[in-house]
Amino acid sequence: MAPPLPLRIRVTESTVQEEDESLMTAMQKGLLAGWSLVAAGLLVTACENQTETPNRPAATQHAAFPPHWGGGEECTPLKFTGGGRIDPPNPDFPDGASGVSTMTGKVTFGFNVFLGTDANGNCVVTKGEIEVVDHPSQTSWHVSIHDGANSLDGSEVMAFTYDDDSGRGVCVQVGTNGMLARVNGNQGTEETRLTACDNGEPGSQQPGISSSGPDALNWETLNHGSTDLTYLTGGNIQAH
Amino acid sequence: MQLNNFQRLPSQVLLSAVLGLVAALPGRIVAQTVAGQAYGAYASTPLGAVTQSPIAVLPPLAGTDGDMAAVQSGGMTVGGVLSTTFLHSITSGALGTAETTAQSVATTGTTSILNGLITAQSVTAMAASHRTASGAVSSSTGSTFGDLVVAGSRLATGEGVVAPNTRIALPGVGYVVLNEQIASGDGVTSSGLTVNMIHVYLQNPLGGAAGEIVVGSATSSVGS
Repeated sequence: MAPPLPLRIRVTESTVQEEDESLMTAMQKGLLAGWSLVAAGLLVTACENQTETPNRPAATQHAAFPPHWGGGEECTPLKFTGGGRIDPPNPDFPDGASGVSTMTGKVTFGFNVFLGTDANGNCVVTKGEIEVVDHPSQTSWHVSIHDGANSLDGSEVMAFTYDDDSGRGVCVQVGTNGMLARVNGNQGTEETRLTACDNGEPGSQQPGISSSGPDALNWETLNHGSTDLTYLTGGNIQAH
Repeated sequence: MQLNNFQRLPSQVLLSAVLGLVAALPGRIVAQTVAGQAYGAYASTPLGAVTQSPIAVLPPLAGTDGDMAAVQSGGMTVGGVLSTTFLHSITSGALGTAETTAQSVATTGTTSILNGLITAQSVTAMAASHRTASGAVSSSTGSTFGDLVVAGSRLATGEGVVAPNTRIALPGVGYVVLNEQIASGDGVTSSGLTVNMIHVYLQNPLGGAAGEIVVGSATSSVGS
């Protein structure tokens, strides 16, 4: 079991106001504000907000998966997004792969997750959407997380980040002990876990081309098997 | 009017403004944009029609937000025009301070177009775009056909790739463009790509447009 995470002050991205203004507009703002514009800009740039989710039922009921990782857990970067496909098993296995894929064939996916800390300092998903489709079995899973709670059972979705074993990038594991996903629309639920690694650009190569995806994804389910950590054969995973 | 107001301001304020602007320029934030959509099939023909569906569209994003949209359908039949199964469309994207990304994927299962003139066991359309300080690029990597047969000719066995913008004549019908790719952007500050895996252009006897059918379409774009 991974040791409990220490209480940390988490830094979230500041909301950046879009500026699509003309030079004249910018100068007019400067006329009104002068050096205060610079000060305000620097203040915004340096601003770090701490986000904590409200107290939620602990995800103790999710004990579907033992944590893969025994140390070095972090909670940054705070945002991951990705979409594409994997075709497990790959001819070459990313670092951290077990070498055993029990879910094979075309798997497509899309996700977007934001991380933060709960009141106890645990790294959790504060907002997220995950969709994974296993085409050979025609099975799809969907996870929706809002305000730090899984929309299916209201529980927290634990997460952590870590440096990829290859040293090329960073990975996130979502649903560390499991997270409940909706299966095939409303046809049932299942415990799942997602691991995604951003190891560079472009994130993928065509099926059949060996090695250096370099991005990788692992989708684990309680009843439908696991893809193992597998290089992307299309799309991209991005840590922000 | 803006220029007149500008001219009326005192010189001390002007100097302050110029200094402030110069100091602020290195930290100037460029607005980023990101977009994505994917759909399984679309048809507009004299024999039948269906809107782009199931279609997933990335919600509008601002600041440094991110999101994902996904939709699915068990199957679709449009007379003798089109039938397909297990349609899934997913699009995701995010705005970042250093990078912006969008990815879209549309997939279908067993597909038949125009009463079997074109068949495939699966279709996967993939488009991914990302922008960093080094530039903006898009890719169709991962776009494949499963066991594709066009007018009796097998073009893919298993999960196979067909060269982008492969055009094949369909006598008496029109033509089909396989792995149709439509790029946009300047490759520096913006980039976009639409991938239509099967795009049938129906033509009347005089060669004029008479309709179209699309199966597997994915679009992604990033820019500023």
